[in-house]
Amino acid sequence: MGTATLEAPAVDVAAVRRPRRKYGGIHAWLFALPALAVYLIFLVYPALTSLWFSFTDWDGLSPTYNVVGLENYTNMPKDPVVIQALINNIIWTVVTIVFPVVIGLALAMLLNGKVRGKPVLRLIFYTPAVLPLVAIASIWGWLYNPQYGAINEFLNLIGLGGLAQPWLGQDSTALAAVMVPGIWLRVGFPMLLYLAALQGINQDMYEAATVDGATRSQQFWHITMPSLRPAHYIVLALSLIDSFKVFDLIYAMTYGGPGTATQVMGTWMYFNVFQYYQAGYGTAIAVVITVIAIAVSIPYVRSQTKEHAA
Amino acid sequence: MSSSAEVAPVAALPDAHVAPTEGPSREPKRKGGIGMTIVLALVALFWISPLALLVITALRPLSDFVANGPLAWPQEWTLQNFADAWGVGNFATTYRNSAFLLILKVPLGVLISAMLAFALAKLRLRFGTVIMFAVFLGLTIPIYITIVPVFVLLRTMGAIDTIPGLVGPYLAFGIPFEVLVLQSFFRQLPDELIEAAKMDGAGPWRIFFTLVLPLSTPALVTVFILDAVATWNEFLFALILLSSDANKTIPVGLLNFQGQFSNNNTGLAAGILIAVVPILIAYIFLQRWIVGGLTAGATKG
Repeated sequence: MGTATLEAPAVDVAAVRRPRRKYGGIHAWLFALPALAVYLIFLVYPALTSLWFSFTDWDGLSPTYNVVGLENYTNMPKDPVVIQALINNIIWTVVTIVFPVVIGLALAMLLNGKVRGKPVLRLIFYTPAVLPLVAIASIWGWLYNPQYGAINEFLNLIGLGGLAQPWLGQDSTALAAVMVPGIWLRVGFPMLLYLAALQGINQDMYEAATVDGATRSQQFWHITMPSLRPAHYIVLALSLIDSFKVFDLIYAMTYGGPGTATQVMGTWMYFNVFQYYQAGYGTAIAVVITVIAIAVSIPYVRSQTKEHAA
Repeated sequence: MSSSAEVAPVAALPDAHVAPTEGPSREPKRKGGIGMTIVLALVALFWISPLALLVITALRPLSDFVANGPLAWPQEWTLQNFADAWGVGNFATTYRNSAFLLILKVPLGVLISAMLAFALAKLRLRFGTVIMFAVFLGLTIPIYITIVPVFVLLRTMGAIDTIPGLVGPYLAFGIPFEVLVLQSFFRQLPDELIEAAKMDGAGPWRIFFTLVLPLSTPALVTVFILDAVATWNEFLFALILLSSDANKTIPVGLLNFQGQFSNNNTGLAAGILIAVVPILIAYIFLQRWIVGGLTAGATKG
């Protein structure tokens, strides 16, 4: 319906702007339409509807609800679990970015050196990233099992049996225990990106530096790190986007527990909507985390758009 | 930020990017460092040990596991765990559902993403930059902001608790990444080629299907595989939108199974393996496409 009206001005613009003639107008819109329609119906529209629900007291079941304005938002600071979830989200994000990036960079540097069997090694380090998160949760839940878990058994074997404990079952260790598989599965991605970037660095620079008597650490800080700057940017941006959305691993490993020790915003939203029938409040939590996620990743999205539109 | 463009030449295609890894050119004839190889091999062994332990455990009888502990080398071997887990975990059903979803969703998603990417890269689409920004923004949107309205929407459509009902939301969340990768690939195709086809009287659809798509096979394969992995692994939508056992996909089925088998360690290990083996096999055989696509997708676009 909208395509016909949009076609006419498009022709004019092109005639003025560019001598090279591309197919435009209605054809371009026909190509764009299916994906845009799906995107609008199943992503944009639901996201905006959630925004609306967040201003209501809807329970998720009743046919009616009242508009309560900002009440759901003003209630959040009074909800201790929201505070805890937000803190856990921040801890999770920092830890599952810093460790994978540092370990991934170290592995990439080693793999970029004189090593045999690089393809196999690379394959192994990336393997955890392709597994379903539920499977990763099952595997690690099983390793952490207080009775038959391999981790406590290993500690016993090396004489550190005193350290054996119910890793997922106590407040003091649960979050850290869930972050370990979070790190495990995220190392592969930065490793691959850094490896690709390292291979793009001109080797002559290192040779010249060696001739000039630069030490290895000087070479690392003055050649390698500056050359990796674009890779750092992409790794950090994509890791941030990914880490922030954490849900699956925590839901499947601890269900937010013990108590509320491992609740994050995503899981706490889920519990409010689907367990406590507070859909309005739950969607408000989702709105907060989405706004934060968008705000921190806008620079990345803009740079991508600029680059792709160029 | 603007510097991200500098990475671009590194990885245009899976091939272009995988090649230098094994390329003998840089250090001719010098043998790989044995010491470093051993160190890295040990680290890799440690890294993969959870999976190795899973395989070994799945292949031993429960009695052996209980008697000798999780880390002891098995005294006996068996395949019975797989048979038990297959039945209890309802894997025949969840496999069928996941496969059905894959077939419905992935080709359709790649096609409509490729069409949009083509319009953005090679056609004169008004508001193209705005559309691109809006679509790329989708990369950052968490699924849970859409979950309640999507639930309501599917219930209204009568598509709740059905596999085809998942296709819409899955498509929507797959589009941003696929368009990102495909648009940057299509953009590199020379305009002269398309101009020449136009001179010959080819319309945009013929150009798209007989010229652009065949020339973009590497990018299409990569996007196809990455999308298949993401679809196979997706959890949150499936958890909330599917309620009956007959309609569950592999990740949701595995979660239920995990609860039922929590005291049967060897059966649990077998069940987890059953759930991940297709992904592992696909990954091992198709890894060059996955690796190339991830680095190309990220460095290129």
